[in-house]
Amino acid sequence: MKLELQKGSRSKVLAGLMLAMMAIFVARLFYLQVLQHGYYVDVAKSEQVKRLKIPAKRGLIYALDGETPVPMVMNQIVYTVFADPQMVNDSNKIIDVIRQVAGGNARADLQALLDKKDSRYQILATKITRIQADKIKAENLKGIGFQENSQRVYPEGQLASQTLGFVNNEGLGQYGVEEKLNDRLTGTDGILQSVTDVSNVPLTIGNNNINRPAINGEDIVLSIDRNVQSRVETALVDALARTGANEASAIVMDPQTGKIMAMANLPTYNQAEFNKVSDAAVFNNNVASKPYEPASIVKTFTFSAGIEKGVITPTSTYNNTDHIQVDDAIVSNATLGRTGILTMQQVLNWSLNTGSVTVAQKLGDGQNITREARNTIYDFFYNRFKLGQKTGVEVAGEASGTIISPEEVEGNAVRYSNMTFGQGLDLTMVQVAAAFSSMINGGNYYKPTVIGGIIGKDNVYLPSTYKIDSNSISKSTSDQMREMIHNVRISASSTLDKPGYYIGGKTGTAEVAQNGAYLTNKTIASYVGFGGSEDLSSYVIMVKIYSDSEDRAMRGSQEAGPIFTDISNWMLDYLKIQPKG
Amino acid sequence: MSYQRTQNFVSRRQQNWSRNQNTVAFASAIKLGPVTHTVLIALMITVLGLIYLTQATRATGYDYAAQKIDSQIADLNIQKSDLEVENARLTALETVKNSSIATTMTTPVATDYIH
Repeated sequence: MKLELQKGSRSKVLAGLMLAMMAIFVARLFYLQVLQHGYYVDVAKSEQVKRLKIPAKRGLIYALDGETPVPMVMNQIVYTVFADPQMVNDSNKIIDVIRQVAGGNARADLQALLDKKDSRYQILATKITRIQADKIKAENLKGIGFQENSQRVYPEGQLASQTLGFVNNEGLGQYGVEEKLNDRLTGTDGILQSVTDVSNVPLTIGNNNINRPAINGEDIVLSIDRNVQSRVETALVDALARTGANEASAIVMDPQTGKIMAMANLPTYNQAEFNKVSDAAVFNNNVASKPYEPASIVKTFTFSAGIEKGVITPTSTYNNTDHIQVDDAIVSNATLGRTGILTMQQVLNWSLNTGSVTVAQKLGDGQNITREARNTIYDFFYNRFKLGQKTGVEVAGEASGTIISPEEVEGNAVRYSNMTFGQGLDLTMVQVAAAFSSMINGGNYYKPTVIGGIIGKDNVYLPSTYKIDSNSISKSTSDQMREMIHNVRISASSTLDKPGYYIGGKTGTAEVAQNGAYLTNKTIASYVGFGGSEDLSSYVIMVKIYSDSEDRAMRGSQEAGPIFTDISNWMLDYLKIQPKG
Repeated sequence: MSYQRTQNFVSRRQQNWSRNQNTVAFASAIKLGPVTHTVLIALMITVLGLIYLTQATRATGYDYAAQKIDSQIADLNIQKSDLEVENARLTALETVKNSSIATTMTTPVATDYIH
């Protein structure tokens, strides 16, 4: 009995132990597999499933060569060579190979970098090409690795650099088209989520794989013609050398579409080495971002308003006394002595301030620049010619400029008298060029643009279409203004132009305002003009030149005019415009 | 080697059930023991496992092949991109201006249009 009892109790104990162990296992498994299910699934996924970013290719930027797109900004894969100093066993060989292959892209202190044995990552060379990287790889150097990066390259060098802008180290467009159209150029990165092996090779096993391809950025074609751009930049370089000025800008537009064919500023910079620039002001495209007082160029807009409103014609006369009273101020001509009865054509030829103030008075009661006259001038300048507001041109940093409304206290008769000859207001060159284009093209205002189209599927160039934004003046007024401006050119510079063409232009010499007063020894010289056949103007050119030297005042006719002539005569040949006769 | 028929116990119920039936029934001379059964089942499981592994690794093998092709495509794209950049540089305005042909060109004395 005793033995039986012992046998029975041992079995029961064993059974009990087994049951207890089973219960523990079940409980533990329940905890791991049910309660902690989500956690362990996540841990497993983090080990096995990788989420890789498929980088989108940044869109290319093209310019035009006539009608053909040519690349201005491209992408190139470059490599960064790095070392793991703890893995390196032959630093002399590494230094020799890197210096020999990478040349100037290698770091100067290679030995010191490789000696940092407490580090696992030291960059030895940057921005080396694929061919260079392949040469280094062929040497099978222990402890050397490569990182692939994409960088912007500029086949045309620094041509149109301020219009193009650049891409910073974070991959963001800065300045110019790169910044303004960053969203269109960037594209959207794709995603590849998949189970991978130890080498990160994606495998098709698994249920939650995601393969969303990247959407590359748009390839944009600018309306900038590289030949015109190059010629304009050369003309500006020559002008600075000739005049001793230190700043110059120019814009060339097609007045029949609003397309900008060239936009240049000096000094400029090399966008491939933007990080070496010490003065960030050179990044700005002053044509669009630096408003100034364009001076007598604005008389053409004042005269347009006068003709459109029927208060003057080119042959209307007034008595010039070289001075005219406006409220408590006296406005004088810059050039004195041409007194007497003069026509409006003569006023424009000789750029007489008193004449443009007279037009403003005629827009009022004939004697004063009344509120009605100021309203009319504001309507023409701001609403019709769209001066003093952003044009929407596709470069970053566009400034709006300033035109004081007559509703403001500062918008009094004295200010408006000054505004009629281009002082007391701030305008950008792109605003003036676009407004001037509408003045001589029949009165059609086109929004200025640097976009010429896009590269579509199958690498086909799809040109943009351009439509009239609004009407600034009637065709009749436009025709009269075109003829008046042509006559201004004939009266001053007819021998400089190629014969058989219809060229017009107007000078502007603005005194620089400083501490509330105008300096007579510091001036900004401007010139705006058009060219083409008698029937059709094919281009509008505006130039500006400035010297910060106090003994080198610039004049529109002497310093800015020749730049216009230089570019204009070249444009006639380049556009193959046939001369009359 | 010879085999003997195994003496089996036949219950009365079975005897009744089999009554009037042919009393001569085929019985295999080969009898499998429990160890053999276990080995056979293990073999079957192994074969099934191998079939599964073959299928699974075949898919993975395709992945490696695809990855290799993708890698080649990427390399060729980089080469293509490099060549495009080089082509753009060689046809850039400055390069053309400074070319030997351009430097030997002269400005015409006079030009005219055919009217």
